[in-house]
Amino acid sequence: MAKLTIDTLTKHFGSVVAVDRINIEVEDGEFVCILGPSGCGKSTALRMIAGFEHPTEGDIRIDDSSIVAIPPNKRPTAMVFQKYTLWPHMTVYENIAFGLKLRGTADATVRRTVEEGLELVGLSGYEKRYPSQLSGGQQQRVALARAIVLEPKILLLDEPFSSLDALLRVRLREELKRIQRRLGITTLFVTHDQEEALSLSDRIAVMREGQIEQLADPSTVYARPRSLFVADFIGDMNLFEATTDAEGIRLGSSLLRDSGGVEVDRKVTVAVRPEELVPAATGVPPEETWEIAVEQTMDLGHYLKLLGELTGVGPVKIYLPKSAHANVVKGRVRVTPTRYLIYSNADAPVEVVKRPHVVAR
Amino acid sequence: MAAQAPSLWTTFRRNTIRSFAAMLRQRWFGISMLLLLAAFILGPMLNVLVWAFTDARIQPPRLVPEQWSLKWWGETFTRLDVAGGFMTSVGISLTVTLVAALICLPASYAFARMKFRGRTPFLLSFLMVNAFPRFGIYITIAVVFFRLGLVGTVPGVVLIQLVNTLLFMIWIPTAAFQGVDRSLEEAALDAGASPLRVFVQITLPMVLPALSASLLLTFVGTFYETQGALLIGIPNVKTLPVVIITLINHHIRQLGAVLSVALWVPSLVLLIFAQRVLRGGTLAAGFGL
Repeated sequence: MAKLTIDTLTKHFGSVVAVDRINIEVEDGEFVCILGPSGCGKSTALRMIAGFEHPTEGDIRIDDSSIVAIPPNKRPTAMVFQKYTLWPHMTVYENIAFGLKLRGTADATVRRTVEEGLELVGLSGYEKRYPSQLSGGQQQRVALARAIVLEPKILLLDEPFSSLDALLRVRLREELKRIQRRLGITTLFVTHDQEEALSLSDRIAVMREGQIEQLADPSTVYARPRSLFVADFIGDMNLFEATTDAEGIRLGSSLLRDSGGVEVDRKVTVAVRPEELVPAATGVPPEETWEIAVEQTMDLGHYLKLLGELTGVGPVKIYLPKSAHANVVKGRVRVTPTRYLIYSNADAPVEVVKRPHVVAR
Repeated sequence: MAAQAPSLWTTFRRNTIRSFAAMLRQRWFGISMLLLLAAFILGPMLNVLVWAFTDARIQPPRLVPEQWSLKWWGETFTRLDVAGGFMTSVGISLTVTLVAALICLPASYAFARMKFRGRTPFLLSFLMVNAFPRFGIYITIAVVFFRLGLVGTVPGVVLIQLVNTLLFMIWIPTAAFQGVDRSLEEAALDAGASPLRVFVQITLPMVLPALSASLLLTFVGTFYETQGALLIGIPNVKTLPVVIITLINHHIRQLGAVLSVALWVPSLVLLIFAQRVLRGGTLAAGFGL
């Protein structure tokens, strides 16, 4: 078990800065996701930790000793790749046993370890199959077993489930989490899927253009995204352009009384989660509620998703419990935010969390 | 490994029978052209076959001899020049294949795995050898070889035949190496294998079918190569095809015929072997098709 320290890690490809001075500490047994859109440098960061790329600058330490100078085949890391990387000319058994045999492990031990590994990923009895006889999900499970049996100090996963279909992806995600918890293995997981990151991680590092925008636990990242980029990237979010004045924040003809201390006459962006827009109670002054023209209602089973237009401001998404559907009258609904974030256009976004005084329940 | 595909012959036979009736009805023109083509190709071969099994001259308008005979087979294979030519051919072909493998396989790995200046032009240059009339190149080389004292020597013949092998031995393995996904090698490296072990245990087994295909093509191609061997080898080094030419020139028609028939055997054996080993479009994959 081990701690991973990524210290001002930087990678340049010619004039392109792929990874720009990132810092992450992964604690012993922790599960950390690097989340970001494609091309943000997350895979490059992971490949530097595995040893396939050499950092331009910075350091990578496992338990406080640097591994940068160690070649990939001698590093105590194991990686599961995005592509199916089982060796096609070897059976499942030979694939998993490959690394163990290299270490000179005794035959009996190899056999037992491979069996345990296959059992862990739910593929007992598949030893003699060839990779081409397995489904994509099974191949990735074997790849996971192949990495785990080596008992790496750090487990690295590079979008391992992205080529699988949605249902299988969720199932494997749950399995991975269970295995990781059971083994207590320090894990770094790279993904572009925010749902995957939210459901798996102890902490998420949101990356953009080679830099980390926010590093925090999932609920913090979701509730208090540090930047507009993170706000937009993670979960559904309504973003409204607005201006501040003496009375509060103006969104078209509507008003938000509390401007959270942002100076007047500033352009700001107001961010509201769709589930934090609720039907307004009757006592709220009309100018402090937002009238939404509903264009589409989608029944998503456990809740309703409304797509509409906030007059004079722009499109808006609302999640409503089904019981609240009566509030939609003639295609119109009055809502008020229970919580919102204000991003001022300054260099470092000011972040404010507010609760309006009256909330309908 | 992939499930066994039906052999080429089985597929061929099945499809042929199925479509034969329809073809007869609809495509009489195509069929007559096909028969004409077959006669054009098979005619000379049949002629050679007939000549190989007769003793006397065949008098026109007869197409088959009055008497069949195996006399020339014994005659041919007891000749010293034929036996010598055979040994020379095998020896030179093996040498050429080996040298080509030693030069070309590392080169093709480099072509596949490294990015360097002039990679594409260099790769295309191997195609150039085949783009020009061979004989012109051979004559030019022969002039140089003559000055170097390589004419009429085994090394000379080996060198000139190496020219022919470059295309097969560079292009097929290059495509094969390129076909091996980098991350398969990285996964092995990650599991703790040294780069050499990764090559031997991961990369090599995956390109082996394509490699054997190119080695096979090289061997067969060299065995039957005539122009270069004739031009450079004469008068001291005579490969089997050169011997055949000499014999035909001496107007002993049956000798040439017997040898031609006999020389089908090695290529037939190799082709059967190839078909067995290189199933599933490996050869096509080797060419990157």
